[in-house]
Amino acid sequence: MSDRLKIVLLLAPAVTIIVLLFLGGLAIGLMRSFNYMPVIGLTEPNFDAYAGLFTSREFYLSFALTFHIAFTSTVISAVIAVAAALLLRRTFLGRGVINFLFQLNLTVPHLVGAIGILYLFSQSGSFARLAHEFGMIQRPSEFPALVFDPYAIGIILQYVWKEIPFIGVIVLAQMQALGQDFESVARSLGASRWQAFRHVLLPLIFPGVLSASVIVFAFAFGAYEIPAILGQSYPAALPVLAYRQYTDVDLAARPEAMAMAIVIAILAGVMIWAYTRLTRSSIRN
Amino acid sequence: MKFLKSAAAAAAVAILPVGTALAGGHGAALIGADWDAVVEQARGGEVNWFLWGGADNVNRYVSEYIGGIVMENYGITLNRVGLSDTVEAVNIVLGEREAGVTDSGSVDLIWINGENFRTMVQGDLAFCGYTQTLPNNELVDWDNPAIANDFGVPVNGCQVPWSRAQFAFAYDSARTENPPRSIAELIEWVEANPGLFTYPAPPDFTGSVFVRHVFYHAAGGVENLLGPFDQALYDEVAPRAWEILNAMEPNLWRAGRTYPTSIAQLNELFANSEVDLTFNYDPSQFGLAVEAGQYPDTVRSYGLADGTIGNTNYTLIPFNSPNVAAAMVLQNVLLSGEAQLHKALPSVWGASPGIEMERTAPEIQQAFAAIERHPSVVPVEELVRNALPELQSEWISAIERGWIENVGR
Repeated sequence: MSDRLKIVLLLAPAVTIIVLLFLGGLAIGLMRSFNYMPVIGLTEPNFDAYAGLFTSREFYLSFALTFHIAFTSTVISAVIAVAAALLLRRTFLGRGVINFLFQLNLTVPHLVGAIGILYLFSQSGSFARLAHEFGMIQRPSEFPALVFDPYAIGIILQYVWKEIPFIGVIVLAQMQALGQDFESVARSLGASRWQAFRHVLLPLIFPGVLSASVIVFAFAFGAYEIPAILGQSYPAALPVLAYRQYTDVDLAARPEAMAMAIVIAILAGVMIWAYTRLTRSSIRN
Repeated sequence: MKFLKSAAAAAAVAILPVGTALAGGHGAALIGADWDAVVEQARGGEVNWFLWGGADNVNRYVSEYIGGIVMENYGITLNRVGLSDTVEAVNIVLGEREAGVTDSGSVDLIWINGENFRTMVQGDLAFCGYTQTLPNNELVDWDNPAIANDFGVPVNGCQVPWSRAQFAFAYDSARTENPPRSIAELIEWVEANPGLFTYPAPPDFTGSVFVRHVFYHAAGGVENLLGPFDQALYDEVAPRAWEILNAMEPNLWRAGRTYPTSIAQLNELFANSEVDLTFNYDPSQFGLAVEAGQYPDTVRSYGLADGTIGNTNYTLIPFNSPNVAAAMVLQNVLLSGEAQLHKALPSVWGASPGIEMERTAPEIQQAFAAIERHPSVVPVEELVRNALPELQSEWISAIERGWIENVGR
């Protein structure tokens, strides 16, 4: 068997699934988004759904909210993850245990984390009950609104909690592979600890941080379940809005739902493209 | 298998032009057939029943009680597929129709009513005309317009009634002394008790029903709204309804800046004393929540003096079910006096029968009459005295959309 045939055969299952399910689904989504849906009598494709989308205020509000959620959670997670990795690469007593605890979140599903956030931070959650116990609040409504709130605090908390170990593990592995030689050289040449970190270590680990961050960003941008559980009713995150349209009882609302899903896919694509550009140029520099 | 099926469906759509001519599926030959022949064909079959899965007692009744009967008597395997929203099942059937899957669909039965039924009719997605073939069909009062019409859409033999439901409010008598007993009183009550009331944002099913009560109030009675959708009438009534709801907003939970997005979320708020009132389209749920320890046993439920909305829910066989005979046998079991009686027991579910209990065997009638209601559940007799009809689906869609545009944002 020639090598080429072997490669083709080995890749066939994965490629089949991608072509059939992913591209097939994308093609159907595209057709529906162009108002082409013969089963309910829509046979003339047009751009109405997209026009409706881009003239709707709710769409822009949802986009802003979704971007805020994804961007804020990514930045906070990345900063804390790098700091945590700096601590964890040192040798200290009980490092193995701490390292294990640090990575424990990785195994907990997002959904379970979201329910946990709800139990802890809602206005009738554990912290509110504690505050009541100590006489700090009289009624649930006096506790600050941390879930179903306009700033999406609950959603961001959940992502930060879940993504710190994800970015942290990647960065830590990278730091350990690099070793401390570069920093030691910098220190011996008179750099302060901050300078050694800022000008030596950070540029070296930056590609890793960036690639992990983009994964986190793209995930948070397109994820449905967390904003569905912890988000406010209006404006909702884009995936929640798209799903709401998709489950509208009127079949005529389906094209708009599909258009929104296509836009989310395109935005995610643009962001990944921007990321590859960024990392390439940062590596060259 | 499911996975392969959907892969095949996706492939079919990707390659073939969409919307090939559709045949009648497996069912056509069964219409009017001898019942024994239907049962014979159904034996050993399998039914994928897609239904809302948000209540444990309902799930148990379906999987264990009904599943047990059809397995024991007919060797039929009942697969309960839980949904959070019935429209998910509708979307599956719709997707299959587009993909040209005409006789090997993945859905054999749906628990359905209202707007979703309209969608099934709109997309020509239901198996129709077979209800006369079911022996237990004679227990159904098709002369009752509330059964022959599903939210104003004629049923036309496309589905079979299962239960009836009527909206009711609930409060904790230990916490709240005088709950509001009409929409007018509720409006005043909310103003006097800021932060202690809210409702799920439409298009949530239950939240949407609450908004319709306010809409009826604004219209000065439902009589004016019956019949097909009337844009002029809507334009006249809607601004009044939005004015009432917008005036209410600053005194709602979280000052109306956000709304719960599901009835489960509202129930949670009520259970945690964040709000003082909740409501449900199925009052038996209050008794179950008390039994489950979610609500204190001082919770009481009640209807409104100006009436609450009631409806009938149904089971429907999609046009492309590969197990029509087995699904029909299952529907026949669901309609039986025994199954309806068991469903009405407060310890099981407490749902009102979709059939006329007077038409069942005497011992079933006696057992039904002897059922004791849960103290937290408002008596059906009290509710039906002031029952309001549902509107046609076009009305409901318009009201939901109007709410989202004028109140929700």
